[in-house]
Amino acid sequence: MIQLFHVKKAYPGDAPVLDDITLRVEKGEFVWLTGPSGAGKSTLLKLLFCAESPTSGQILIGGRNIGRIGQGSIPYLRRNIGVVFQDFKLLDNRTILENVGYALEVLGASDGEIRERSLKRLAQVGLDHRATSLPRRLSGGEQQRVAIARALVNEPTILLADEPTGNLDPGLTDSILKLLFDANARGTTVVVATHDRTLLSRYRKRTVALDKGKLVSDA
Amino acid sequence: MNLWRAPLPSLLAVLTIGLSLFLGASFILGVFAARALLTSWGAQASVTLYLDRSTTDEQARTLAQTVRVENPSLQVTYVDRTMALQRLRGDLGDLAGALEGLSQNPLPPSLELSPRTALQPSGVRMLAARLEQLPSVQEVDYGREWLDKLEALGNGLRVFGTGALAIVLGAALLVVANTIRLAVYARRDEIEIMKLVGATDGYVRAPFLLEGALQGLLGAALALGAVEAVRRWLLPPASHAFAFASGAVAPHLLPVHAAALLGIGTLVGLFGSWLAVARFLRA
Repeated sequence: MIQLFHVKKAYPGDAPVLDDITLRVEKGEFVWLTGPSGAGKSTLLKLLFCAESPTSGQILIGGRNIGRIGQGSIPYLRRNIGVVFQDFKLLDNRTILENVGYALEVLGASDGEIRERSLKRLAQVGLDHRATSLPRRLSGGEQQRVAIARALVNEPTILLADEPTGNLDPGLTDSILKLLFDANARGTTVVVATHDRTLLSRYRKRTVALDKGKLVSDA
Repeated sequence: MNLWRAPLPSLLAVLTIGLSLFLGASFILGVFAARALLTSWGAQASVTLYLDRSTTDEQARTLAQTVRVENPSLQVTYVDRTMALQRLRGDLGDLAGALEGLSQNPLPPSLELSPRTALQPSGVRMLAARLEQLPSVQEVDYGREWLDKLEALGNGLRVFGTGALAIVLGAALLVVANTIRLAVYARRDEIEIMKLVGATDGYVRAPFLLEGALQGLLGAALALGAVEAVRRWLLPPASHAFAFASGAVAPHLLPVHAAALLGIGTLVGLFGSWLAVARFLRA
Protein backbone atom coordinates (compact mmCIF):
# COMPACT_ATOMS: atom_id res chain seq x y z
CA MET A 1 0.00 0.00 0.00
CA ILE A 2 2.84 2.39 0.93
CA GLN A 3 6.39 1.98 -0.34
CA LEU A 4 9.37 4.26 0.12
CA PHE A 5 12.68 3.68 -1.65
CA HIS A 6 15.76 5.55 -0.45
CA VAL A 7 13.74 8.65 0.28
CA LYS A 8 15.63 11.76 1.27
CA LYS A 9 14.23 15.13 2.25
CA ALA A 10 16.55 18.07 2.81
CA TYR A 11 16.11 21.83 2.93
CA PRO A 12 18.88 24.06 1.59
CA GLY A 13 21.56 24.77 4.17
CA ASP A 14 20.27 22.22 6.72
CA ALA A 15 21.06 18.61 7.51
CA PRO A 16 18.62 16.16 5.84
CA VAL A 17 15.31 15.84 7.69
CA LEU A 18 14.92 12.35 6.25
CA ASP A 19 17.82 10.34 4.91
CA ASP A 20 17.71 7.14 2.88
CA ILE A 21 14.36 5.86 4.17
CA THR A 22 13.22 2.58 2.68
CA LEU A 23 9.95 1.27 4.05
CA ARG A 24 7.00 -0.88 3.04
CA VAL A 25 3.56 -0.80 4.70
CA GLU A 26 1.11 -3.49 3.63
CA LYS A 27 -2.56 -2.97 2.98
CA GLY A 28 -4.57 -3.10 6.21
CA GLU A 29 -1.50 -2.77 8.41
CA PHE A 30 -1.27 -0.59 11.56
CA VAL A 31 2.11 1.04 12.03
CA TRP A 32 3.47 3.23 14.80
CA LEU A 33 5.94 5.79 13.52
CA THR A 34 8.02 6.87 16.46
CA GLY A 35 11.09 8.81 17.44
CA PRO A 36 12.05 11.91 19.40
CA SER A 37 11.03 15.41 18.36
CA GLY A 38 12.82 16.39 15.16
CA ALA A 39 13.30 12.77 14.10
CA GLY A 40 11.39 13.39 10.86
CA LYS A 41 8.04 11.71 11.66
CA SER A 42 5.84 14.63 10.60
CA THR A 43 7.91 15.23 7.47
CA LEU A 44 7.51 11.60 6.48
CA LEU A 45 3.73 11.86 6.87
CA LYS A 46 3.76 15.11 4.84
CA LEU A 47 5.56 13.29 2.05
CA LEU A 48 2.87 10.59 2.11
CA PHE A 49 0.01 13.04 1.63
CA CYS A 50 2.01 15.14 -0.83
CA ALA A 51 2.24 18.28 1.29
CA GLU A 52 5.98 18.03 0.61
CA SER A 53 7.94 16.31 -2.13
CA PRO A 54 11.09 14.26 -1.55
CA THR A 55 14.50 15.62 -2.50
CA SER A 56 15.36 12.19 -3.88
CA GLY A 57 14.02 8.65 -3.80
CA GLN A 58 10.65 7.20 -4.80
CA ILE A 59 7.33 6.95 -2.97
CA LEU A 60 4.55 4.64 -4.14
CA ILE A 61 1.03 4.91 -2.75
CA GLY A 62 -1.31 2.15 -3.88
CA GLY A 63 1.21 1.30 -6.60
CA ARG A 64 1.37 4.87 -7.98
CA ASN A 65 4.64 6.73 -7.95
CA ILE A 66 3.65 10.06 -6.43
CA GLY A 67 6.79 11.72 -7.74
CA ARG A 68 5.53 11.13 -11.25
CA ILE A 69 1.92 12.18 -10.93
CA GLY A 70 1.15 15.73 -11.95
CA GLN A 71 0.24 18.53 -9.56
CA GLY A 72 -3.33 18.26 -10.78
CA SER A 73 -3.60 14.59 -9.69
CA ILE A 74 -2.59 15.24 -6.08
CA PRO A 75 -6.12 16.16 -4.89
CA TYR A 76 -7.43 12.86 -6.24
CA LEU A 77 -4.69 10.96 -4.41
CA ARG A 78 -5.54 12.80 -1.20
CA ARG A 79 -9.15 11.66 -1.42
CA ASN A 80 -7.87 8.19 -0.59
CA ILE A 81 -5.87 9.43 2.37
CA GLY A 82 -7.40 10.65 5.61
CA VAL A 83 -5.19 12.85 7.77
CA VAL A 84 -5.51 13.63 11.49
CA PHE A 85 -3.38 16.30 13.17
CA GLN A 86 -2.41 17.03 16.73
CA ASP A 87 -4.10 20.46 16.50
CA PHE A 88 -7.30 19.01 14.94
CA LYS A 89 -7.47 21.59 12.11
CA LEU A 90 -11.22 22.12 12.37
CA LEU A 91 -12.94 25.18 10.96
CA ASP A 92 -14.10 27.25 13.90
CA ASN A 93 -16.92 28.93 12.04
CA ARG A 94 -18.53 25.71 10.86
CA THR A 95 -20.59 23.24 12.82
CA ILE A 96 -19.32 19.79 13.65
CA LEU A 97 -21.56 18.31 10.96
CA GLU A 98 -20.26 20.81 8.38
CA ASN A 99 -16.65 20.10 9.36
CA VAL A 100 -17.12 16.38 8.82
CA GLY A 101 -19.13 16.92 5.65
CA TYR A 102 -16.42 19.15 4.19
CA ALA A 103 -14.48 16.18 2.84
CA LEU A 104 -17.62 14.97 1.02
CA GLU A 105 -18.49 18.44 -0.24
CA VAL A 106 -15.18 18.47 -2.10
CA LEU A 107 -16.10 15.18 -3.77
CA GLY A 108 -19.30 16.74 -5.06
CA ALA A 109 -21.68 14.61 -2.97
CA SER A 110 -25.30 15.70 -2.69
CA ASP A 111 -26.46 17.55 0.44
CA GLY A 112 -28.53 14.56 1.53
CA GLU A 113 -25.64 12.15 1.13
CA ILE A 114 -23.26 14.51 2.94
CA ARG A 115 -25.65 14.77 5.88
CA GLU A 116 -26.35 11.08 6.06
CA ARG A 117 -22.73 9.92 5.85
CA SER A 118 -21.45 12.65 8.15
CA LEU A 119 -24.02 11.82 10.81
CA LYS A 120 -23.12 8.15 10.51
CA ARG A 121 -19.43 8.92 11.09
CA LEU A 122 -20.25 11.24 13.96
CA ALA A 123 -22.32 8.44 15.50
CA GLN A 124 -19.32 6.12 15.20
CA VAL A 125 -17.18 8.57 17.18
CA GLY A 126 -20.06 9.14 19.61
CA LEU A 127 -20.74 12.77 18.71
CA ASP A 128 -23.88 12.71 16.60
CA HIS A 129 -25.72 14.54 19.37
CA ARG A 130 -23.28 17.49 18.98
CA ALA A 131 -23.74 17.78 15.21
CA THR A 132 -24.90 21.40 15.31
CA SER A 133 -22.29 22.59 17.82
CA LEU A 134 -19.30 24.68 16.86
CA PRO A 135 -15.85 23.17 17.53
CA ARG A 136 -15.02 25.63 20.32
CA ARG A 137 -17.93 24.24 22.36
CA LEU A 138 -16.26 20.82 22.39
CA SER A 139 -13.43 19.47 24.54
CA GLY A 140 -10.05 18.64 22.99
CA GLY A 141 -10.86 14.93 22.93
CA GLU A 142 -14.18 15.58 21.25
CA GLN A 143 -12.56 17.85 18.66
CA GLN A 144 -10.06 15.12 17.84
CA ARG A 145 -12.90 12.64 17.42
CA VAL A 146 -14.52 15.07 14.97
CA ALA A 147 -11.21 15.30 13.08
CA ILE A 148 -11.07 11.52 12.89
CA ALA A 149 -14.67 11.38 11.68
CA ARG A 150 -13.76 13.89 8.96
CA ALA A 151 -10.67 11.88 7.98
CA LEU A 152 -12.73 8.71 7.68
CA VAL A 153 -15.96 10.03 6.22
CA ASN A 154 -15.07 9.27 2.61
CA GLU A 155 -13.68 5.87 3.56
CA PRO A 156 -10.04 6.38 2.62
CA THR A 157 -7.74 3.40 2.15
CA ILE A 158 -5.02 5.08 4.22
CA LEU A 159 -5.30 7.01 7.48
CA LEU A 160 -2.33 9.09 8.62
CA ALA A 161 -2.34 10.54 12.14
CA ASP A 162 0.31 12.97 13.38
CA GLU A 163 0.48 12.90 17.19
CA PRO A 164 -3.32 12.51 17.40
CA THR A 165 -3.25 12.28 21.20
CA GLY A 166 -0.49 14.83 21.74
CA ASN A 167 -2.85 17.55 22.97
CA LEU A 168 -5.12 15.30 25.01
CA ASP A 169 -5.33 14.14 28.60
CA PRO A 170 -4.11 10.55 29.06
CA GLY A 171 -7.67 9.51 29.90
CA LEU A 172 -8.86 10.50 26.44
CA THR A 173 -6.03 8.81 24.59
CA ASP A 174 -7.59 5.36 24.71
CA SER A 175 -10.87 6.50 23.20
CA ILE A 176 -9.05 8.19 20.31
CA LEU A 177 -6.81 5.21 19.68
CA LYS A 178 -9.81 2.90 19.75
CA LEU A 179 -11.25 4.85 16.82
CA LEU A 180 -8.01 4.38 14.90
CA PHE A 181 -7.92 0.65 15.72
CA ASP A 182 -11.57 0.35 14.63
CA ALA A 183 -10.75 1.98 11.29
CA ASN A 184 -7.83 -0.41 10.92
CA ALA A 185 -10.11 -3.34 11.72
CA ARG A 186 -12.38 -2.23 8.88
CA GLY A 187 -9.43 -2.55 6.48
CA THR A 188 -7.91 0.93 6.48
CA THR A 189 -4.12 1.11 6.50
CA VAL A 190 -3.18 3.28 9.48
CA VAL A 191 0.10 5.06 10.19
CA VAL A 192 0.29 6.91 13.50
CA ALA A 193 3.22 9.17 14.39
CA THR A 194 3.85 9.49 18.12
CA HIS A 195 6.70 10.15 20.48
CA ASP A 196 4.75 8.68 23.39
CA ARG A 197 6.55 5.42 24.22
CA THR A 198 3.89 4.33 26.68
CA LEU A 199 1.46 3.93 23.80
CA LEU A 200 3.88 1.64 21.99
CA SER A 201 4.29 -0.62 24.97
CA ARG A 202 0.58 -0.63 25.74
CA TYR A 203 -0.56 -1.32 22.17
CA ARG A 204 1.95 -3.65 20.57
CA LYS A 205 1.96 -3.10 16.82
CA ARG A 206 4.61 -2.81 14.15
CA THR A 207 6.84 0.10 15.17
CA VAL A 208 9.07 2.04 12.83
CA ALA A 209 11.54 4.24 14.68
CA LEU A 210 13.27 7.29 13.25
CA ASP A 211 16.12 9.27 14.72
CA LYS A 212 17.72 12.34 13.16
CA GLY A 213 16.08 11.51 9.86
CA LYS A 214 17.26 7.91 9.68
CA LEU A 215 15.25 4.75 10.07
CA VAL A 216 16.80 3.08 13.13
CA SER A 217 14.46 0.17 13.74
CA ASP A 218 11.44 -1.59 12.25
CA ALA A 219 9.93 -4.26 14.46
CA MET B 1 -20.37 31.29 -0.68
CA ASN B 2 -18.56 32.22 2.50
CA LEU B 3 -18.82 36.01 2.27
CA TRP B 4 -20.76 36.22 5.54
CA ARG B 5 -18.44 33.89 7.45
CA ALA B 6 -15.67 36.49 7.44
CA PRO B 7 -17.68 39.72 7.11
CA LEU B 8 -15.02 42.20 8.28
CA PRO B 9 -12.29 41.46 5.71
CA SER B 10 -14.99 41.22 3.03
CA LEU B 11 -16.45 44.57 4.04
CA LEU B 12 -12.96 46.08 4.03
CA ALA B 13 -12.39 44.76 0.51
CA VAL B 14 -15.73 46.17 -0.69
CA LEU B 15 -14.97 49.56 0.86
CA THR B 16 -11.46 49.65 -0.60
CA ILE B 17 -12.67 48.75 -4.06
CA GLY B 18 -15.46 51.31 -3.69
CA LEU B 19 -13.06 54.05 -2.62
CA SER B 20 -10.52 53.25 -5.34
CA LEU B 21 -13.15 53.19 -8.06
CA PHE B 22 -14.76 56.35 -6.68
CA LEU B 23 -11.42 58.16 -6.95
CA GLY B 24 -10.85 56.76 -10.43
CA ALA B 25 -14.37 57.62 -11.63
CA SER B 26 -14.20 61.11 -10.12
CA PHE B 27 -10.91 61.67 -11.86
CA ILE B 28 -12.29 60.53 -15.21
CA LEU B 29 -15.36 62.71 -14.78
CA GLY B 30 -13.11 65.63 -13.88
CA VAL B 31 -11.16 65.15 -17.10
CA PHE B 32 -14.42 64.82 -19.07
CA ALA B 33 -15.71 68.02 -17.50
CA ALA B 34 -12.47 69.89 -18.19
CA ARG B 35 -12.51 68.79 -21.82
CA ALA B 36 -16.17 69.74 -22.13
CA LEU B 37 -15.29 73.14 -20.73
CA LEU B 38 -12.48 73.57 -23.26
CA THR B 39 -14.83 72.53 -26.02
CA SER B 40 -17.41 75.04 -24.88
CA TRP B 41 -14.78 77.74 -24.89
CA GLY B 42 -13.84 76.64 -28.39
CA ALA B 43 -17.49 76.85 -29.39
CA GLN B 44 -17.64 80.43 -28.21
CA ALA B 45 -14.87 81.40 -30.61
CA SER B 46 -16.44 83.07 -33.62
CA VAL B 47 -14.96 83.22 -37.10
CA THR B 48 -15.09 86.47 -39.07
CA LEU B 49 -14.61 86.57 -42.83
CA TYR B 50 -13.43 90.00 -44.00
CA LEU B 51 -14.44 90.52 -47.59
CA ASP B 52 -12.89 92.62 -50.29
CA ARG B 53 -14.03 96.23 -49.97
CA SER B 54 -15.29 96.14 -53.53
CA THR B 55 -17.70 93.27 -52.76
CA THR B 56 -21.26 94.34 -53.48
CA ASP B 57 -24.13 93.73 -51.10
CA GLU B 58 -25.59 91.15 -53.45
CA GLN B 59 -22.30 89.29 -53.80
CA ALA B 60 -21.85 89.32 -50.01
CA ARG B 61 -25.38 88.01 -49.39
CA THR B 62 -24.88 85.28 -51.99
CA LEU B 63 -21.64 84.31 -50.30
CA ALA B 64 -23.35 84.28 -46.91
CA GLN B 65 -26.03 81.97 -48.31
CA THR B 66 -23.36 79.70 -49.81
CA VAL B 67 -21.61 79.46 -46.44
CA ARG B 68 -24.94 78.75 -44.68
CA VAL B 69 -25.79 75.93 -47.09
CA GLU B 70 -22.35 74.37 -46.92
CA ASN B 71 -22.12 74.75 -43.13
CA PRO B 72 -25.55 74.24 -41.58
CA SER B 73 -23.96 74.16 -38.13
CA LEU B 74 -22.89 77.79 -38.44
CA GLN B 75 -24.95 80.85 -37.75
CA VAL B 76 -23.96 83.37 -40.46
CA THR B 77 -24.49 87.12 -40.07
CA TYR B 78 -23.68 89.56 -42.84
CA VAL B 79 -22.27 92.88 -41.59
CA ASP B 80 -22.15 95.45 -44.36
CA ARG B 81 -19.70 98.34 -44.36
CA THR B 82 -22.20 100.85 -42.95
CA MET B 83 -23.16 98.57 -40.09
CA ALA B 84 -19.48 97.89 -39.41
CA LEU B 85 -18.83 101.62 -39.11
CA GLN B 86 -21.86 102.08 -36.85
CA ARG B 87 -20.57 99.32 -34.58
CA LEU B 88 -17.13 100.87 -34.47
CA ARG B 89 -18.67 104.18 -33.63
CA GLY B 90 -20.64 102.57 -30.85
CA ASP B 91 -17.57 100.74 -29.57
CA LEU B 92 -15.49 103.91 -29.53
CA GLY B 93 -18.14 105.83 -27.56
CA ASP B 94 -16.81 109.30 -26.70
CA LEU B 95 -13.92 108.86 -29.10
CA ALA B 96 -16.26 108.29 -32.03
CA GLY B 97 -15.66 111.90 -33.13
CA ALA B 98 -12.29 110.77 -34.44
CA LEU B 99 -14.15 108.99 -37.25
CA GLU B 100 -15.72 112.24 -38.49
CA GLY B 101 -12.54 113.22 -40.27
CA LEU B 102 -12.59 110.17 -42.51
CA SER B 103 -13.32 110.94 -46.14
CA GLN B 104 -14.75 107.46 -46.75
CA ASN B 105 -15.69 104.32 -44.82
CA PRO B 106 -12.44 102.34 -44.46
CA LEU B 107 -14.10 99.19 -43.10
CA PRO B 108 -14.66 96.11 -45.23
CA PRO B 109 -17.90 94.15 -45.25
CA SER B 110 -17.73 90.90 -43.29
CA LEU B 111 -19.50 87.64 -42.50
CA GLU B 112 -19.64 86.69 -38.83
CA LEU B 113 -19.88 82.96 -38.23
CA SER B 114 -20.79 81.37 -34.89
CA PRO B 115 -20.86 77.63 -34.40
CA ARG B 116 -24.28 76.45 -33.18
CA THR B 117 -22.71 73.33 -31.65
CA ALA B 118 -19.41 72.91 -29.87
CA LEU B 119 -16.39 72.80 -32.15
CA GLN B 120 -12.95 71.51 -31.22
CA PRO B 121 -10.13 74.04 -31.84
CA SER B 122 -8.86 71.85 -34.67
CA GLY B 123 -12.33 71.99 -36.23
CA VAL B 124 -12.34 75.81 -36.08
CA ARG B 125 -8.90 75.89 -37.70
CA MET B 126 -9.99 73.60 -40.56
CA LEU B 127 -13.15 75.62 -41.06
CA ALA B 128 -11.12 78.84 -41.31
CA ALA B 129 -8.72 77.27 -43.81
CA ARG B 130 -11.66 76.15 -45.97
CA LEU B 131 -13.44 79.52 -45.85
CA GLU B 132 -10.25 81.34 -46.74
CA GLN B 133 -10.51 79.80 -50.23
CA LEU B 134 -13.90 81.40 -50.94
CA PRO B 135 -14.03 84.22 -53.50
CA SER B 136 -14.00 87.80 -52.15
CA VAL B 137 -12.60 86.62 -48.79
CA GLN B 138 -9.57 88.68 -47.93
CA GLU B 139 -8.88 87.63 -44.41
CA VAL B 140 -10.22 85.15 -41.88
CA ASP B 141 -10.04 86.03 -38.20
CA TYR B 142 -10.75 83.26 -35.73
CA GLY B 143 -8.57 84.06 -32.70
CA ARG B 144 -5.75 81.84 -33.84
CA GLU B 145 -3.55 82.42 -30.78
CA TRP B 146 -6.40 81.77 -28.36
CA LEU B 147 -7.34 78.57 -30.16
CA ASP B 148 -3.72 77.39 -30.29
CA LYS B 149 -3.43 77.84 -26.54
CA LEU B 150 -6.77 76.14 -26.00
CA GLU B 151 -5.69 73.21 -28.13
CA ALA B 152 -2.34 72.90 -26.36
CA LEU B 153 -4.24 72.90 -23.06
CA GLY B 154 -6.58 70.17 -24.36
CA ASN B 155 -3.67 68.04 -25.55
CA GLY B 156 -1.85 68.49 -22.25
CA LEU B 157 -4.98 67.51 -20.37
CA ARG B 158 -5.36 64.38 -22.49
CA VAL B 159 -1.76 63.28 -21.93
CA PHE B 160 -1.88 64.13 -18.22
CA GLY B 161 -5.31 62.48 -17.89
CA THR B 162 -4.21 59.26 -19.56
CA GLY B 163 -1.02 59.02 -17.50
CA ALA B 164 -2.69 59.89 -14.22
CA LEU B 165 -5.59 57.53 -14.94
CA ALA B 166 -3.15 54.66 -15.55
CA ILE B 167 -1.46 55.44 -12.23
CA VAL B 168 -4.78 55.69 -10.36
CA LEU B 169 -6.07 52.41 -11.82
CA GLY B 170 -2.76 50.63 -11.24
CA ALA B 171 -2.67 51.80 -7.63
CA ALA B 172 -6.32 50.79 -7.19
CA LEU B 173 -5.60 47.30 -8.50
CA LEU B 174 -2.65 46.88 -6.14
CA VAL B 175 -4.64 48.11 -3.15
CA VAL B 176 -7.57 45.88 -4.05
CA ALA B 177 -5.39 42.82 -4.65
CA ASN B 178 -3.72 43.34 -1.28
CA THR B 179 -7.01 43.91 0.50
CA ILE B 180 -8.48 40.74 -0.98
CA ARG B 181 -5.26 38.96 -0.10
CA LEU B 182 -5.89 39.97 3.51
CA ALA B 183 -9.41 38.58 3.24
CA VAL B 184 -8.05 35.35 1.79
CA TYR B 185 -5.29 35.25 4.39
CA ALA B 186 -7.96 35.36 7.09
CA ARG B 187 -9.25 32.12 5.60
CA ARG B 188 -5.93 30.37 4.97
CA ASP B 189 -6.90 27.59 7.41
CA GLU B 190 -9.95 26.88 5.33
CA ILE B 191 -7.84 26.69 2.17
CA GLU B 192 -5.38 24.37 3.89
CA ILE B 193 -8.19 22.07 5.01
CA MET B 194 -9.85 22.15 1.60
CA LYS B 195 -6.58 21.02 0.03
CA LEU B 196 -6.08 18.44 2.75
CA VAL B 197 -9.39 16.72 2.04
CA GLY B 198 -8.65 16.56 -1.67
CA ALA B 199 -10.13 19.71 -3.17
CA THR B 200 -8.75 20.57 -6.59
CA ASP B 201 -7.24 24.01 -7.15
CA GLY B 202 -10.29 24.95 -9.20
CA TYR B 203 -12.61 23.91 -6.38
CA VAL B 204 -10.60 25.96 -3.86
CA ARG B 205 -10.36 28.93 -6.17
CA ALA B 206 -13.98 29.09 -7.36
CA PRO B 207 -15.66 30.46 -4.21
CA PHE B 208 -12.88 33.02 -3.71
CA LEU B 209 -13.22 34.19 -7.31
CA LEU B 210 -16.98 34.44 -6.94
CA GLU B 211 -16.57 36.37 -3.73
CA GLY B 212 -13.93 38.61 -5.29
CA ALA B 213 -16.21 39.33 -8.24
CA LEU B 214 -19.12 40.04 -5.91
CA GLN B 215 -16.98 42.27 -3.71
CA GLY B 216 -15.79 44.11 -6.83
CA LEU B 217 -19.37 44.52 -8.04
CA LEU B 218 -20.55 45.79 -4.65
CA GLY B 219 -17.55 48.12 -4.41
CA ALA B 220 -18.29 49.49 -7.89
CA ALA B 221 -21.96 49.98 -6.96
CA LEU B 222 -20.81 51.84 -3.87
CA ALA B 223 -18.50 54.02 -5.99
CA LEU B 224 -21.32 54.65 -8.44
CA GLY B 225 -23.63 55.72 -5.63
CA ALA B 226 -20.94 57.99 -4.18
CA VAL B 227 -20.22 59.64 -7.54
CA GLU B 228 -23.93 60.23 -8.11
CA ALA B 229 -24.37 61.58 -4.59
CA VAL B 230 -21.48 64.02 -5.06
CA ARG B 231 -22.83 65.10 -8.44
CA ARG B 232 -26.33 65.68 -7.08
CA TRP B 233 -25.70 67.15 -3.67
CA LEU B 234 -22.15 68.47 -3.50
CA LEU B 235 -21.53 69.90 -6.96
CA PRO B 236 -24.53 72.28 -7.23
CA PRO B 237 -23.60 74.32 -4.12
CA ALA B 238 -20.00 74.47 -5.35
CA SER B 239 -20.92 75.44 -8.89
CA HIS B 240 -21.05 79.19 -8.17
CA ALA B 241 -17.32 78.97 -7.50
CA PHE B 242 -16.92 77.91 -11.10
CA ALA B 243 -19.09 80.58 -12.64
CA PHE B 244 -16.44 81.23 -15.29
CA ALA B 245 -17.16 77.74 -16.55
CA SER B 246 -20.77 78.50 -17.37
CA GLY B 247 -21.84 76.75 -20.49
CA ALA B 248 -19.72 73.70 -19.75
CA VAL B 249 -21.53 70.37 -19.67
CA ALA B 250 -22.03 69.24 -16.07
CA PRO B 251 -20.23 65.92 -15.51
CA HIS B 252 -22.62 63.01 -15.32
CA LEU B 253 -22.43 59.26 -15.70
CA LEU B 254 -24.06 57.81 -18.78
CA PRO B 255 -25.45 54.25 -18.49
CA VAL B 256 -22.47 53.04 -20.50
CA HIS B 257 -20.09 54.65 -17.96
CA ALA B 258 -22.00 53.07 -15.07
CA ALA B 259 -21.87 49.68 -16.79
CA ALA B 260 -18.14 50.11 -17.45
CA LEU B 261 -17.54 51.01 -13.80
CA LEU B 262 -19.45 47.94 -12.60
CA GLY B 263 -17.57 45.80 -15.12
CA ILE B 264 -14.18 47.20 -14.06
CA GLY B 265 -15.07 46.64 -10.39
CA THR B 266 -16.04 43.03 -11.05
CA LEU B 267 -12.87 42.40 -13.07
CA VAL B 268 -10.66 44.05 -10.45
CA GLY B 269 -12.26 41.89 -7.74
CA LEU B 270 -11.88 38.77 -9.85
CA PHE B 271 -8.26 39.49 -10.76
CA GLY B 272 -7.38 40.51 -7.21
CA SER B 273 -8.83 37.27 -5.87
CA TRP B 274 -7.01 35.23 -8.49
CA LEU B 275 -3.69 36.82 -7.49
CA ALA B 276 -4.39 36.39 -3.79
CA VAL B 277 -5.54 32.76 -3.96
CA ALA B 278 -2.77 31.76 -6.36
CA ARG B 279 -0.25 32.56 -3.66
CA PHE B 280 -1.96 30.29 -1.15
CA LEU B 281 -2.43 27.49 -3.65
CA ARG B 282 1.28 27.51 -4.39
CA ALA B 283 2.10 27.42 -0.68
